[in-house]
Amino acid sequence: MGPPVPSPSALPSLDAGAVHLRLAHVTKRFGDTAAVDDISFDVPRGSFATLLGPSGCGKTTTLRMIAGFYDPDAGDIVLGGRRINELPAHRRGTAMVFQDYALFPHMTVRGNVSYGLRLAKVAKDELARRVNETLDFVGLGKLGDRWPNQLSGGQQQRVAVARALVLRPEILLLDEPLSNLDAKLRVQLRWELRTLQQQLKMTFVYVTHDQDEALSLSDWIAVMNAGKVEQHGAPWEIYYRPKTAFLADFVGAVNLVPGTVREVRGGQATVQFGERSVTVPVPADTSLREGGEVKLCVRPEALGLAPRGATTDGAALPGTVARKAFLGDLMRYWVTIDGREWIVDQPDPGASTPLDGEVLVQVRPERVHVIAG
Amino acid sequence: MRSLQREPGLLLALLAVIVLVCVFILYPQIRVIITPGTGYIDFLSGGTWIRSTSQSIQVMVLSTTTAVLLGFVFAYAMVYTDMPWKPFFRLIGILPLLSPPFVVAASYLILFGPRGLITYGIFGQTISVFGLGGIWGVQTIAFFPFAYQLIADVLSRSDARLEQAARNLGAGPWQVFRSVTLPLSRPGLGAAILTTAIYVLEDFGNPALIGGTFTVLPTQAYGLISGFGDLPGATAVSTLLLALALILYVAKIRLDGGRSFITVSGRASSMPRPPVPVVLTWACFVACLLLAVVILTVYGTLLVSALTLNFPNNLSFTTKHFEYITSDVNGTALQNTLIFGVVAAAFSAVFALVAGWLVERGSWPGRRVLDFLLIMPAAIPGLFFGIGYATAFNEAWLDWLDRGVLIIISMIFWNIPVGYQAAVAGLRQIDRTMDEAATSLGASSLRGFRDVLIPMLGGSISVGFVTTFVRAVTTLSVVIFLFTSGTTVATIRIFQLVNDLNWGRATAFTVADIGMAILALGGIALLSRGRIALGAARA
Repeated sequence: MGPPVPSPSALPSLDAGAVHLRLAHVTKRFGDTAAVDDISFDVPRGSFATLLGPSGCGKTTTLRMIAGFYDPDAGDIVLGGRRINELPAHRRGTAMVFQDYALFPHMTVRGNVSYGLRLAKVAKDELARRVNETLDFVGLGKLGDRWPNQLSGGQQQRVAVARALVLRPEILLLDEPLSNLDAKLRVQLRWELRTLQQQLKMTFVYVTHDQDEALSLSDWIAVMNAGKVEQHGAPWEIYYRPKTAFLADFVGAVNLVPGTVREVRGGQATVQFGERSVTVPVPADTSLREGGEVKLCVRPEALGLAPRGATTDGAALPGTVARKAFLGDLMRYWVTIDGREWIVDQPDPGASTPLDGEVLVQVRPERVHVIAG
Repeated sequence: MRSLQREPGLLLALLAVIVLVCVFILYPQIRVIITPGTGYIDFLSGGTWIRSTSQSIQVMVLSTTTAVLLGFVFAYAMVYTDMPWKPFFRLIGILPLLSPPFVVAASYLILFGPRGLITYGIFGQTISVFGLGGIWGVQTIAFFPFAYQLIADVLSRSDARLEQAARNLGAGPWQVFRSVTLPLSRPGLGAAILTTAIYVLEDFGNPALIGGTFTVLPTQAYGLISGFGDLPGATAVSTLLLALALILYVAKIRLDGGRSFITVSGRASSMPRPPVPVVLTWACFVACLLLAVVILTVYGTLLVSALTLNFPNNLSFTTKHFEYITSDVNGTALQNTLIFGVVAAAFSAVFALVAGWLVERGSWPGRRVLDFLLIMPAAIPGLFFGIGYATAFNEAWLDWLDRGVLIIISMIFWNIPVGYQAAVAGLRQIDRTMDEAATSLGASSLRGFRDVLIPMLGGSISVGFVTTFVRAVTTLSVVIFLFTSGTTVATIRIFQLVNDLNWGRATAFTVADIGMAILALGGIALLSRGRIALGAARA
């Protein structure tokens, strides 16, 4: 037997703390199309919450409604227990970090960071103290007198964050703040943002289309598609227990195999796919009926690969390697089983000779997730 | 819409703009159009309009054709060839934009008039230079630089990468121009031609000075008022002129979406274009040189005449013409020109900026209507605009209103399209996230506009300011119905002095007037460190 699947109670879970931001039945139409269509969710206080989805899914529109740049056509937006629909954007305390940073080019770093405090008529001494503190906090203490065009992309991003944080906003909104940076910097700043959020214990609402970013940063993710929230919850839940085929496919690589339920008994279901069948656990909130169509959802890294004839755990499906790709940290195989291609990832490719030709794909039933419909 | 309810300041600004536009742009026009009333019947049946209309159209077609042809050659040479002396030619192309168009007629009379330097002085002839031929020639020279600016703008916007790609696929220079450049810039070129046609159609000064008995619509309108005091007749003629101009303008907007408008800003084209044959380059150079000689002759004549006792008969150097124009009432005229120009330009730039921001960044219903009203003055002939103000605001109960103030207001609103379009274009280049960043940090819309957008719009503001100033100090037709002896301006004095054949004084005034425009442009160019390109720096 392989390692046990962690039970949901053992998953890294959110403190069920007070709801900080609530969207209830919020809709936004542009012309005839509903960019955001009757969505509802709660964001817990102090969490790093991410709206994830492909472009055009309505995630940015949702964020801009929270910020007050768009008025919702229906529904309520409640921040800290207060309905803010009618509150003008500049009085909401929802500071925002923009995708292209939107630094004011005619102000220095210090000018940018102090702008909001000047608007709030904060006393001079306190203003200077807070600006310095914040600049130090994001590691820009020495660059206060630079102009935005003298900064690198990463530095500009930090200024944008500092400019918003210095106001001690009720909530910080971030609209794809890392998407204009190169890959390496993106990963580094990801960690900086996460650390910042945890130090400040502030509620962040973060918009991205990058699932790696969402998974690695967030306490809570809402995956959006076509104006709807498909699913929300902890990253773990989203990744291993997607409720729809779209979700499974959007977040990470996945094998989605159509099948038919043959038997349901004692929290287990036997699902037939092609000529084969497998008995898998039924997810808690899913009801299956015999004869129903389902999709088996298996992550590539949850599958094992062995040469034909080897002894294996669980079900072993004979197949043929169609092609493979060396991705550095893993070897990705496309294996043809009964005419269908499966993706199988094997870690640490340097440890063994790559396989080819006839192979066995090992499926551990407890790692198979069933999606109804 | 809802943001207006939430921010009273925004609502007030919007209401102020709407009221001002209605009072100072819409209302005077309506007054002109309704003034004739039943007089329209007499006017139309009288039939004099047929001749002036057909002559207007005739001269418009002729002058526009030649001006556009010359302008195209100049523009092509500047944009496509690497001929020498480009900075010099660029200055030559800007100079006429800084002067009242009708001074070309004055120069023409000095050179070719009954006692002209060339006709009489050299050839001993006293031929008739008045009429269609004269107007055609003078307007061609006066307006080809405008056509050049418009066409160069269109050509330089054509994508050099596409031309490089066509060359790469095997097309020759001529094929590239015919199969790529021309088809892509056709709408822009069409719009440039129509804009030039509007300038020619509206031209009052040149036909007034050398038209003789050849009347066009603007001169007929002026003649009816100054000669016969026939306001209904003049307003009817003006309305006809407006209708023609509007037809051209609507056609232009359909072509370019209302984008282009002459502003005295330079533009840089950094991408190299495929080389053109050497022969063509040199042919262009020679053509430009000839045109430059003509322009320099026109303006050189004015300068020499201003500095000599009695050009061309007595060439002794004198400063007495300049002493004359700076003394007494004439000094007041120069002073008025400067003050009216500066005040009008400042107010126009500010008003245009606020209006441009409200329209471009707003989301309230009816902003398309306001947008149209703000651009409309570009289609309104100056003469019509002047008659409009004279009709609408020459009321007994408005006697307390200073005529100078009225002239300033007319200049502000006649020139609104320049600053407005510059502001809108500038705002479109600033991403909306800039406004939103300010808002999310706690700035109201108006505050964000003041703190963030205005500082970033410096270039657009100075373009609006300097162009309005130049147009204000060089317009004749707007002020000709509004001035009084105490509020006369340089262009009016030039017009009067030319009519009196007082060349020395007229040309001195002209030199002073153009000098002001050059100083304004040069000053702003220095201040904005070349953002308004004036020449050499942007080769």
